[in-house]
Amino acid sequence: MANPALTLLQDLSSIEDPKLIEWDWISDNFWEDIVPAIQGHIFLSFVSVAIALMISLPTGVLVSRYRKAYPPVTFVTGLLYSIPSLALFGILISVPGITIGPTPVIIALVAYSLLILIRNTVAGLDAVPAETIDAARGMGLTNRQILFRVELPLALPVIVAGIRIATVTIIGIATIGAYIAGGGLGKMIFDGINRSFPTMIITGAVLATALAIIADLSLLGLERYLRPWARRRKT
Amino acid sequence: MIEFRQVSKTYPGSDNPVVRDLSFEVPEGEICVLVGPSGCGKTTTMRMVNRLIEITEGEILIDGEPNTAMSATRLRRKIGYAIQQIGLFPHRTIADNIGTVPHLLGWNKGRIRDRVDELLELVGLSPEEYRDRYPAELSGGQQQRVGVARALAADPPIMLMDEPFGAVDPITRERLQDEFLRIQEDIKKTIVFVTHDIDEAIKMGNKIAILKQGGILAQYDTPETILAYPNSEFVASFVGTDRILKRLSLVRVGDIRLEPANGEAEDLPRIDGNLSVRDALSEIIGSGSTKGVVERDGEKGLLTIDTIEKLSRARDDSRG
Amino acid sequence: MSGILDVFRRPDFFELLWQHILLSAAALLIAVAIALPVALAIRNTSLGAALAVNIGNIGRAVPSLAILALCQPFLGFGFDTALVALTALAIPPILINTSTGLREVRRDIIDAARGMGLSGSQVLSRIQLPIAAPVIFAGIRTSAVQVVASATLATFIGGGGLGELIVEGTQLNNTTILLAGSFSVAVLAILTEVGFGALEMAMTPKGLKIAQKRGR
Repeated sequence: MANPALTLLQDLSSIEDPKLIEWDWISDNFWEDIVPAIQGHIFLSFVSVAIALMISLPTGVLVSRYRKAYPPVTFVTGLLYSIPSLALFGILISVPGITIGPTPVIIALVAYSLLILIRNTVAGLDAVPAETIDAARGMGLTNRQILFRVELPLALPVIVAGIRIATVTIIGIATIGAYIAGGGLGKMIFDGINRSFPTMIITGAVLATALAIIADLSLLGLERYLRPWARRRKT
Repeated sequence: MIEFRQVSKTYPGSDNPVVRDLSFEVPEGEICVLVGPSGCGKTTTMRMVNRLIEITEGEILIDGEPNTAMSATRLRRKIGYAIQQIGLFPHRTIADNIGTVPHLLGWNKGRIRDRVDELLELVGLSPEEYRDRYPAELSGGQQQRVGVARALAADPPIMLMDEPFGAVDPITRERLQDEFLRIQEDIKKTIVFVTHDIDEAIKMGNKIAILKQGGILAQYDTPETILAYPNSEFVASFVGTDRILKRLSLVRVGDIRLEPANGEAEDLPRIDGNLSVRDALSEIIGSGSTKGVVERDGEKGLLTIDTIEKLSRARDDSRG
Repeated sequence: MSGILDVFRRPDFFELLWQHILLSAAALLIAVAIALPVALAIRNTSLGAALAVNIGNIGRAVPSLAILALCQPFLGFGFDTALVALTALAIPPILINTSTGLREVRRDIIDAARGMGLSGSQVLSRIQLPIAAPVIFAGIRTSAVQVVASATLATFIGGGGLGELIVEGTQLNNTTILLAGSFSVAVLAILTEVGFGALEMAMTPKGLKIAQKRGR
């Protein structure tokens, strides 16, 4: 006859709470779930940053030339930036024609980063000394050449600083995009919460954080590299 | 009266003192200028008087009492402090800035207000116009005047001034220097004044302390004596190879004894009695002659290059 | 449109609104109560400044959903868990700005203040803090907006708030409720930005405003 104590113990262990991190699950699902989630997240972020740059760089250049346009541009992008992400997602998927999925997420991510990218582009261009531009013009460079060979390279550190902040913000908000089927590491977080499965939550959250920090530090390194005079400054 | 007794300062972790065994006295009511090349410890020395930097060895006595006899904060409220970048508080009005120490000392509002107005007048700024302004609204020269007014506010017997006119252009600086010397004639404060500019030192100082690298006192004397009798190669080169001419710039033509100019007066250059001997020399030589005529109280005196040369070699403390 | 107004008239709307505001305000206040004293305590040490800036920078990079989600396995669901997470989110901007703001007060101003005889605490309270005030309040403003936005996500760990309307609208496929939730959160966030912006202006000493205008 089976030992009643042992049976009781076995019953109890089968209903115990899941451990905080089940490494088995991680290794089992690494290639099926975790890696695609990381890839999806990176893809989402990268595409958003790229599109945002394609919009913000020309806009920034234009606005730095025609300053009257700057306040309204700042107002609109600032307004977009103020809207909390989940709310913006909600508004976007209410628009007929936009369904849940990566599209509204990318639209929102781009909208969020416009303010900082445009602002930093303008600030970077403003910081180029007037004498330098004057000298370039005196040497016979056309306006176009001045922009691409003098102004933008000199403005680069400040622009990259803006890209850094935008990228980190985008990686963070992309996690929320999973709620409207945007994919990425946020999906693991939401699934983990819904299934009361801490391992998924922790894995998703830690990886998203790690991704953000890695991006932050790499771009910080790039920023420092582009700014040799700041590297040597004592803090 | 301020007395330095074998004062030394060595920073922890360093072997070399920045100020070495300094001993000298600043007589009451006089301006003592600390001057020397970069790294000679002049600013450090000044800041040891109000204990912004603490002495490693020796002591500083103020009117016979060591400056450690009371808390540093209390000590500083009795010493006027004016620095090169001025350090006006940007978030306070000019009146509040000037009234800082009186306020700390507990003066009542009316007394502070009167004192602020008095000081603004003294430094040449109209009280009605300036007392409610903010530092950012003032020019560099005006800010520097406010800095001096602020240092004088509680009427301290002693003042420390570190390149107080340094942040403005040379023309404004000269004007501020002249005005300050005029104020000092009335208020007669005991002042330790730091500068790197030997010309400013000569102009402002009753006594000059020339410091060498490493905080060593090279010479401590009146400007005239240092210019006429530098005690070392270092001092001679620091005051400049034109030191004889510098010395001549300290004396006014109208103050020296001259031979009467009889008859020779006609084609000689006229020298104004208010010119310095140095400028007079320049005029005389420039006119191609070796003499000039000085008109004074209706009498004509003869100023010859010979006279000037004798003057340059005399040991004279006409400003002492 | 009228449908959206109906949502606002729901009895639970004000309850959710109140939860959202309470959660945000509490998190902000606690964060200020923690970050300000810490920044003050470490202001004179260079190690402290480096630490503040680094913690702050890393804190800014962490996704808000990640912090909220990470608290859940350890602290469970509910208002308190959300409060802890949001407080953690609110600390970095205040810490960085207070630390930097104090450090950036011009050295000659502090030297003049000490040299004139202000004690250490007088220099801090009468000179450094007023001059650093705009920067400090800018940090509080950044923090406030971030907290109000992130409080939307509190719904996912049972913290309540206006995010629940957005979730409800999404799950029921009801655009009206969805938009009502989204708009109310957006308006709240914008009001926070504007309100704290005004506070920042109010806390900037007049002399500093003049200096800013003249580019000094």
